[in-house]
Amino acid sequence: MSARSHASRRTLVNGAIGIVGVVVLWEAAARLLDLPVYVLPSVSRILAAIVAQHQLLWNAALMTMWEAVAGFFAGSAVGIVLAIALTMMPRARRVLLPMATALNSVPVVAYAPLILLWFGIGPTSKIVMVAIAVGFTVFLHALSGLDRVDRRAVDLMRSFGASPAAIIWRLRVPAAIPLTAAGMRVSTVRAMIVAIVTEMLGATGGLGWTIFQAVLQIDFVQVWAAIFVASAISLVFFGGVNMLEKRYVFWK
Amino acid sequence: MSAAAAALRPAAMSVLRGAAALLVVAALWEGLVIATGVKPYYLPRLSVILQSIAQVPDAYIAGFLRTASETLLGFSVGAVVGVFNGVVFSQSRRLREVIFPLFVISQTIPVIAFGAVVVLWFGNTILAKAVIAFYLTFFPVTVNTLNGIESVDPRQVDLLRSFGASRFKLMRQLLLPAALPQIFVALRLACTLSLLGAIAGEWFGDTVGLGVLLLQAMYNEQVVALWAAILVAGLLGTTFYGLVALAEKKFVFWKAEQT
Repeated sequence: MSARSHASRRTLVNGAIGIVGVVVLWEAAARLLDLPVYVLPSVSRILAAIVAQHQLLWNAALMTMWEAVAGFFAGSAVGIVLAIALTMMPRARRVLLPMATALNSVPVVAYAPLILLWFGIGPTSKIVMVAIAVGFTVFLHALSGLDRVDRRAVDLMRSFGASPAAIIWRLRVPAAIPLTAAGMRVSTVRAMIVAIVTEMLGATGGLGWTIFQAVLQIDFVQVWAAIFVASAISLVFFGGVNMLEKRYVFWK
Repeated sequence: MSAAAAALRPAAMSVLRGAAALLVVAALWEGLVIATGVKPYYLPRLSVILQSIAQVPDAYIAGFLRTASETLLGFSVGAVVGVFNGVVFSQSRRLREVIFPLFVISQTIPVIAFGAVVVLWFGNTILAKAVIAFYLTFFPVTVNTLNGIESVDPRQVDLLRSFGASRFKLMRQLLLPAALPQIFVALRLACTLSLLGAIAGEWFGDTVGLGVLLLQAMYNEQVVALWAAILVAGLLGTTFYGLVALAEKKFVFWKAEQT
């Protein structure tokens, strides 16, 4: 126990060394080489900009967070329901799965302009985009999780007269939870990124919009400030889902 | 001879099945649009979209080639660097603990925001998009290479070591081949990601590429042209994915029954 906590503390310390090292290097490079702001502003300037503009950035962040979180949950729900439905219908699955894989190899951002035309530039289009991106990932993870059952366990349950529905609920769904949760965890960062990417193409507010405006005004300190905020939110989101996963998928 | 033919048959069958599925989707698309009378603004007929590509094939071919080269360049360098990182991290725990968290943070930076900066650094060149594609590729490959190497049975490592295998030989003959299935999982994921990076990178004022075609069609509200660009991007994505999957079947033949 103490050996383990010692090891995890070592990991933490080493990780902190890396992060502090980069920040120091960055600050030193920006100051000593006197880099122009558009190449690389110093960390302290970026942080100062965040403090100075905290109201504006916070409002933008709230909007992006809402889009990312709403899309994340909608997409996860649809992905899981579809995966269960397809597992119950092997025939439909054989036809639909190759199509889903083909659709998935089209980059999500290619749909972004279309979704914007359909749903307008408000938050709805971003929520739809995030839901599509998250939905696919969670769907594919849930599907392969549902398949990850011992054939013999299925046969055993069937020989005891379990209905197909019972086999799904009692055996396949619990077996699929770890992989589905992993799919949701990797989707958190993606949700933020997709929300921001879509905002840049057209929006009424949000971090992506802030970044786009700042690029147009060649205000690169503001670009970096928004990047920092977006990155921090992604980390918190990721950490939160990760924590929930550790608590509820404890057997993994 | 007949054994080879029998081995070929499933592959041919799956290609045939894929082609059949594609035809069914195409027929369904065309039929449903005509039957339900959906406004072309939402979903134009497939034949109309294909016609519009056939009218100005040059723009689509040029866009395809440009985006493909950006993606491929970033993807290949990202794959090589990713495997290299994974190998280095597996050898030095300390290096991994210092650098890995930085990689994680780097991946939370929205690519497109980063894209603005990258385009500024490298100009509006193929290189800028390749850098973005690279940035999205190297991380999953690093993670999966490391995971693959670490999940090798330590008894196998001990055995080889007891026969006097050097570190290099151990890596080449046991650890890397054992990690290959996992590396390919990451490569398949990365081919979609690198294409995404290349397309988004083109949004910062380039003139050629699929991302440019998408953006122009959106600004002019030309839904047919938009769908045409999406279809071509899809063609690029599936071709790329198919090639990586093919390479996987060839190099990871012992896992063929799993996928």
